[in-house]
Amino acid sequence: MTVIVVQQAINGVVVGSLYVLVALGLTLIYGVLVQINFAHADFVTIGAFAAYFLMHLIGANYLASIAVALLVGGLCGFLINAAVFTPLRSSRSELLPLIATIGVSVMLQNVMLAWLGPIPYAFETPYSNQVIRIAGIFLTWQSVIIIAVATTTIALLYAFMKFTFLGKAVRAVSQDRETAGLMGINANHLIMLTFVIASALAGMAGAMLAPVLVLTPFAGTSVIVKAFAIVIIGGFGNVEGTILAGLLVGLIESFTTQYLDPGLIDIVVFGLLLLMLAIKPTGLISERREENV
Amino acid sequence: MSIRFHLLLALASAVSVVAATSSAAQAEDKTIKIGALLPISGPGAYFGTQDKQGVELALEELNKTGVNGYKFVIHYEDSSCAPLPATQAAKRLLEQFTPDVVIGEECSDATLAVMPLIEQAKVPLINAGSSSIKVTDPGNPWTFRIMPNEVMQGVNIAENAYNRLNARTAVLLFENTNAGIGNAKVFNETFTKLGGKILAEIGFGRDVNDFTAIATRVAGLGKIDIIPTYTLEGQGLKITQALAQTGVTKGGGGSAIQLGTIWLPFGFEQKAGNAALGYIRIVQFDPTDPRPLVRDFTSAFKAKYNADPTHINAHAYDQIMLIADVVKRGGKDAQSIRDMLAATKTFSGVTGSVEFDKNNQNDKMDTVHYMETKPDMTWTSLKWN
Repeated sequence: MTVIVVQQAINGVVVGSLYVLVALGLTLIYGVLVQINFAHADFVTIGAFAAYFLMHLIGANYLASIAVALLVGGLCGFLINAAVFTPLRSSRSELLPLIATIGVSVMLQNVMLAWLGPIPYAFETPYSNQVIRIAGIFLTWQSVIIIAVATTTIALLYAFMKFTFLGKAVRAVSQDRETAGLMGINANHLIMLTFVIASALAGMAGAMLAPVLVLTPFAGTSVIVKAFAIVIIGGFGNVEGTILAGLLVGLIESFTTQYLDPGLIDIVVFGLLLLMLAIKPTGLISERREENV
Repeated sequence: MSIRFHLLLALASAVSVVAATSSAAQAEDKTIKIGALLPISGPGAYFGTQDKQGVELALEELNKTGVNGYKFVIHYEDSSCAPLPATQAAKRLLEQFTPDVVIGEECSDATLAVMPLIEQAKVPLINAGSSSIKVTDPGNPWTFRIMPNEVMQGVNIAENAYNRLNARTAVLLFENTNAGIGNAKVFNETFTKLGGKILAEIGFGRDVNDFTAIATRVAGLGKIDIIPTYTLEGQGLKITQALAQTGVTKGGGGSAIQLGTIWLPFGFEQKAGNAALGYIRIVQFDPTDPRPLVRDFTSAFKAKYNADPTHINAHAYDQIMLIADVVKRGGKDAQSIRDMLAATKTFSGVTGSVEFDKNNQNDKMDTVHYMETKPDMTWTSLKWN
């Protein structure tokens, strides 16, 4: 019994770490732009395919493919932000950028569908089938990499936000864009930086998720709904809350599967979301909006 | 006289022009319009892609000479393996293309959703991929299914598992759809009646990506002989790999054998890798079948697509060939095609034979072929049926 509880806890942390990586990008963008990015799911998919092709066509190492997926995600974020979202921000409309993110999402999905086809790709890494067994507990090396990369990324992101000038500037823009501008901070550059970081995180999450996901042009959409739920449970724009909520959702999934039924996962997760909205709409970790990110 | 003669000549010319025009129009009209509702996007898109290949090959062969003076035209709609897009696609197909006959869908939920619309339009529907019993039970005069339904498959798999594999314990894994739940239920009933024990029934949604938690739960259930699994290819791959990682199945050094259905395409083993070792599943087409019909189909398919045909290619090919058979017997419009389909007795296709019972269900079991994955990830035909 204890073995199963520990095993499911590990399973939950692994899945939760993946969710955190996807959700962090969403929460960063919301924190700075107060904007929901529906195309985030497709940056996850693009990252997954970038890693897939790098490994299967060029024969690159999986860890190198994660780094490349991060760069590809960041580049996509830069291009889409420059081409679509920056021009729309001058309209001062909240609705236009939101609709644009949906448009970009549909467009990217269909471009990938036309190019890559609808049949699932099998993404195997050398680490997926290398299993470590200790006292009845099993863990693949893939899971170890996921936890290690997610922990490192979260730590680096946290350090960047808290201790670097750029990170502080991003936080300043998220708190009050106009005042930050008066202090000499170029808000547009920092919005671009946030978008690139968030998209890079999505691309990297894609490379980590690819061996787990059913890899098709729609792969990212299968996790994005949960990522949105995590962002809401954790508190929109709140990094610490997102991390906590991501791990919580991962654990809920594992233990619902073990003790209830996998068919009930969405009921439990989204039930929690509704509960949070009803009793604590600011999320798990309450902060004033000004202090987010 | 001369004027009369010229008038008669002019009249005769006019009549002959009208007759010629009419006959040309008739020749143009001598086409059978086939509507295809296939999942071309979404999680079941591999069905649609492979169906299309089989359909195109059959049409290419048939349209070289035609059948009883008829040529065949087809129009595809993406029904996405789900009820809502399927009904929208069916409406477009029926209103804009006005087909004489429709083939599809692959997924039971989608097929069940379009059946009332197609019945209302009085157009026959030939189905080759949906296993839910509800497709032909209690029976719909306009729907015909050429593959065995979930009861026929489920009973057959459970009996073979119990008698040939000596399986006594099972865990059922299935997606929460009509077909998934229905197939699992039939297996459960038959296996239990034979004396077997179901240790757990685990259903899941199509949005589940990581199956490690499910595999962990399965691993904690004690000794398992077989794991019948009802899911589409994408999730099927992940389940097989997760079960191997937990050491439950043969692919992971355990003893349990995963049993699968015709939902999985050929090539599944190569994608799943070593995890698929020992996987036994049924397919509708056996490429090692020595019948000349199968050999000809296989070589024609290889020549056209430079690949071996899958059972999905094969059942799509048979759907079109069955329509051609019906046209050969006098079918020319929706009503007569329906009537001729119902009277089908001796059709022999590349997947097997077809004879419909009173519910328009093909009652032949020679379309069910068992295959087992070998250590080199190729497969061998078990010749159980």
